[in-house]
Amino acid sequence: MKMVALAYGFIWLAVFGYVFLVGRRLGKLNGEMDELRRRIDRLKS
Amino acid sequence: MPAQTSQTSHGSPRFLAACAVTFLLFVIACNAIADAPREITMGLVQKIFYFHVPCAWLLMLSTLVCAGGSVAYLFGGSERGDRVALSAAELGVLFGMCVLVSGPLWAKAAWGVYWQWEARLTSSLLLWLMLLAYVLARRYGGPSARRLAAALALFAAIDIPLVYFSVRFFRSIHPSNTVVSTLGPGMRGAFWLSLLAFTVLWSVLLAARLAVESAQARLVDLEILLDQAEEKKT
Repeated sequence: MKMVALAYGFIWLAVFGYVFLVGRRLGKLNGEMDELRRRIDRLKS
Repeated sequence: MPAQTSQTSHGSPRFLAACAVTFLLFVIACNAIADAPREITMGLVQKIFYFHVPCAWLLMLSTLVCAGGSVAYLFGGSERGDRVALSAAELGVLFGMCVLVSGPLWAKAAWGVYWQWEARLTSSLLLWLMLLAYVLARRYGGPSARRLAAALALFAAIDIPLVYFSVRFFRSIHPSNTVVSTLGPGMRGAFWLSLLAFTVLWSVLLAARLAVESAQARLVDLEILLDQAEEKKT
């Protein structure tokens, strides 16, 4: 039972960890988008 | 630009629907695994098989997709191919890691040792290391490492037949490739459901990662254009 729990637990942890990392990258990307928008607004004005 | 952004957004209804379908498939698959009969000789530890084999399949699928994208980039100059290759390689590292952890846990119970330097295990480890090298080269190698990494992906693809046929051509203690066809009816359904759920999860993760990578590439292009516009203005 311990081995099965460890195997399944590790796989779920790895998948959720990866989803978290992709989400963090997306958050960073959104920040860069906002910065780009600010630069465009400055250029327009 | 706003139209493109909304197409690739992770909050889009299509993406959320795909996530919901994946979740539902895993609920059904986990129920089927829980209900599947216990294997006579190994008992409960055999249930690792339902997650281990789909992860191994996704390791090989990721490598194939990575190699396909790399071929498109190397010989056709396809930027999209390069982005697909990088996204698939990351997933290959993820699912390869799951294979290399869940396998030894099963082996400890079945063979009494976590690891044996035999053909299937060694070639799988080699495949994972090649994908890891690809990802590290892309992460830290700069733009010049893209072609080198693509060539590495082709080497990794050559390892796939070695991984798959290793149990047939070499003396191996790893279960053979025909083990799925020997499963009982209750076990077989659970296995295919799990394989389907993992494959759908892989597709969703690939789409999400690819969307991030594509948005990043567009952002870099826009930043260059904006730099040029700012220089002109000043």
